[in-house]
Amino acid sequence: MAPAELSVKLQASSGSKIRDFLNANLINILAAFLFLLLAFFLLYPIIAVLIKSLRGPSGFTLEYYRSFFSKNYYFQSLFNTLLLGVINTVVCLVIGFCLAYMTTRGPWILRKPLKIIALIPLIAPPYLFALSLIILFGRNGIVTRMFDLHWQLYGFNGVVISQTLAFIPLAYMMIENTLMSLNPNLEESAYDMGASEATILRTITIPLLAPGLLKAALLIFVMTIAEFGNAAILGGRTPFLAPDTYTMITGESDFNMGSVLSVILIAPCIIIFFIHNYLLEGKKFTTIGGKPVASEPRKITPLIQAPFIIITTVAAGAIFICFAVVFVASFYKILGVTHNVVLSNYLDFTSNQAIYNSIRVSFVAAVIGAFIGVLLAYVIVRGKFFGRTFIEMVSLSGFALPGTVVGIGYLLAFSAPPLKLTGGIMILALNCVFRFLAVGVEAGISKLHQINIEIEEASADLGASFLTTFYRIVLPIMFPAFIAGFIYTFMTAIVSLSAVVFLVSPGFALASVKIFDAAVYGEVGIASATTMKLVLIVTICMLILNFIRNKTRLGGSMKKSAAV
Amino acid sequence: MDMRENERPMLILKDIHKFYGKNEVIKGVSLEVRKGELVTFVGPSGCGKTTLLRLIGGFTDVSSGDIILDGQRINDLPPNLRDTRICFQNYALFPHMTVAENVGYGLKINKWPKHRIEARVKELLEMVELQAFADRMIDRLSGGQQQRVAFARALSLEPKVLLLDEPLSNLDANLRLVMREEIRNLQERLQITTVFVTHDQFEAMAISDRLVVMKDGLIEQVGSPIEIYERPANEFIAGFVGYVNFMEGRVASIDENTRNTVINTEYGKIEITLSQGDINSADEVLMVIRPESVNISLDCGGKGQNVLSGALKSYMYAGSLAKCTVKIGDRTMIIDQYNPRDAQQFKHAEKVEVHIPRSVHLLKRKR
Repeated sequence: MAPAELSVKLQASSGSKIRDFLNANLINILAAFLFLLLAFFLLYPIIAVLIKSLRGPSGFTLEYYRSFFSKNYYFQSLFNTLLLGVINTVVCLVIGFCLAYMTTRGPWILRKPLKIIALIPLIAPPYLFALSLIILFGRNGIVTRMFDLHWQLYGFNGVVISQTLAFIPLAYMMIENTLMSLNPNLEESAYDMGASEATILRTITIPLLAPGLLKAALLIFVMTIAEFGNAAILGGRTPFLAPDTYTMITGESDFNMGSVLSVILIAPCIIIFFIHNYLLEGKKFTTIGGKPVASEPRKITPLIQAPFIIITTVAAGAIFICFAVVFVASFYKILGVTHNVVLSNYLDFTSNQAIYNSIRVSFVAAVIGAFIGVLLAYVIVRGKFFGRTFIEMVSLSGFALPGTVVGIGYLLAFSAPPLKLTGGIMILALNCVFRFLAVGVEAGISKLHQINIEIEEASADLGASFLTTFYRIVLPIMFPAFIAGFIYTFMTAIVSLSAVVFLVSPGFALASVKIFDAAVYGEVGIASATTMKLVLIVTICMLILNFIRNKTRLGGSMKKSAAV
Repeated sequence: MDMRENERPMLILKDIHKFYGKNEVIKGVSLEVRKGELVTFVGPSGCGKTTLLRLIGGFTDVSSGDIILDGQRINDLPPNLRDTRICFQNYALFPHMTVAENVGYGLKINKWPKHRIEARVKELLEMVELQAFADRMIDRLSGGQQQRVAFARALSLEPKVLLLDEPLSNLDANLRLVMREEIRNLQERLQITTVFVTHDQFEAMAISDRLVVMKDGLIEQVGSPIEIYERPANEFIAGFVGYVNFMEGRVASIDENTRNTVINTEYGKIEITLSQGDINSADEVLMVIRPESVNISLDCGGKGQNVLSGALKSYMYAGSLAKCTVKIGDRTMIIDQYNPRDAQQFKHAEKVEVHIPRSVHLLKRKR
């Protein structure tokens, strides 16, 4: 029986050379196809922006750059943006560190609640904080009216505060991650040798955390300078690069100057992206692994404890108040001005229409994004062709690109034939796909690293073709990564504002754009209710993601114990 | 050497209990450790040995009970104020410091003047033979060298008690033997009171003055390696410190003068010389028969004293030793035959004789 089977297999394989060739090269063909997609939908729009900034009516010119650097206004805008980035990064790092320190080293009872509060902003669109600041301190704000306070919210201060609150979770998560990976025995050793808590922090914890802190700092800096919503809503007369590009395009239709601003904004992002990925690669102190022990709380002197407690309480309190305010405001026409509790904000037709549109766009983006993410991950991990790392780099770079720049790029690239996409929902979906690809790809990569290539080789050895193996073995294993990519893309797309604000056509409202407009025009009730709807949708997505993550972790450990 | 000085307890644990939430992980442990002694906590994983060590080090608070170090109650002192130093399983060397900086860390923290730190670090590195590596970073050292740095660092401040948490478990088998000898030699030379934690019973027996065998948060037995091995307190300990064959029996008689004791078993009478006081006539007992204590010979048909005949089920020859599986009645007995001379004959033998030694230890059977 066995020899007969063998001969059948031999016959089949010698039969079709084309199929053999396809089998052997399918992964390369797939890679080429994916690369074309990345090039067309990610690289080309960015290059289009660069070209636009350099091409005047009579060919190549540096005129627009000269005008940028010679006008005080633009310089002020650049300066404000960078200053905002620096202040934001520092404040976020300090707060993130205090929170992370308390949730990993602090008293047991505080760890869980603090962690939850620190992560709550994740379920909010970043501009929720701008909205709540308007409700509290705006011209008709509750605090403004109640205390007859004339604090100028619109401007640099307002933007810094709302941005800081919005980026606390990112800082917290990155720092907590590095703190958790720090072997608690190291600090305990120092403690054992006679060091006090402050000395441990100064000589052990912070030096060992430095690479992780630097990484977090770079990422937060890039995200803050690129963030559009808060600056656009609260910036007032203070210029910032991201909202300035918006007014340049939509207000003055000056695409050349808009492109220049974009290039200026993107330059630090790209530089930092490279530093982040290559200079800091592997810059991590390694230690011999022992049994992973949760850090037991140490007896910390009140003097050291005080700043931690003050900072964490203030941050947690501010986050909580902002949420509560938006929630309450969603039940009033204008909170503080009108006094009737109403549901009209939730029933508002335009708001619901916008939510419906957002769901549609995000769903399309999520399907496409999850597919491309899984395929990219597969090609990056299993492929053996030249340029593999380049594909990886490009596919991960999307999140480092400012949304405004991608938005302008798409306007420039896809508003004329051969590929006219403007006006449809496809252009809205596609820019989300390629901007938020990173998470899906990384989930796929880490999933693939978990499975041994031998599983695939075993399948091939048993006579399965590349396609069969991919379909029967790889896809089922990658399924959790696919779902993770899907949900992540969906929930990021549904709250994203900066790129789509350039691309929506007048008759087609998206929820994030609707909130933006409503906030700018002072329609606080509608803005709040729409925000709360988004919060609800994102919360549901998070819960599903969490459920999947727990499920697959369980599966992983089961596999491991079976192997032992 | 002053004997009295040596016998004063350096460390006393008094009825220690430890709860994590409602979960009691240490259920009442009392122990005295003499000055200069090396005591090992040994037991299966989850028995509470590491927790107990962390309690002594001060990283966790006791729920009740007292810890007394050199006459002083230290329950409420944090680790940085206790005169104990711990060496973690993963060494916990500071990866951003050199060997010398690691070893000198505690001295610097305790504000020693610079020249004294230098001298002390030099002395310590010489002690662990790492003088040449003073300026190396930690990740440029082998596992054994890292172990020595950790040891030197823990010794730098001359603690009253040194705590070693599975210090050898990250080393490969050969190095582990070398390092345990080194640690023991240094410990004896410096006369430093040491509490050692391991799950490896053979390591524990080889290195310790006394063993503390733990299970489920309780001490099962405290004794020298010889006591633990030859006179285990119960079945768990007998089985934990090495392979053991058990055989049930009933004490028929004990001669008060010669301590000659006759035990009736289902395979006949066994006579032993009783060396323990807790066994009386008519007791139901369990004989603890170690594989290497039994003599095995080819069956000659004759029936001598303490001889049981059985069927040789397998004979695994491994050079210096042969492992024999012998079926006696419906009982299987494992016997180690050292220096196996007649291997060729044993290989084909079917019937063998088993000689039970007179030194067998007895456990009282619970009913």
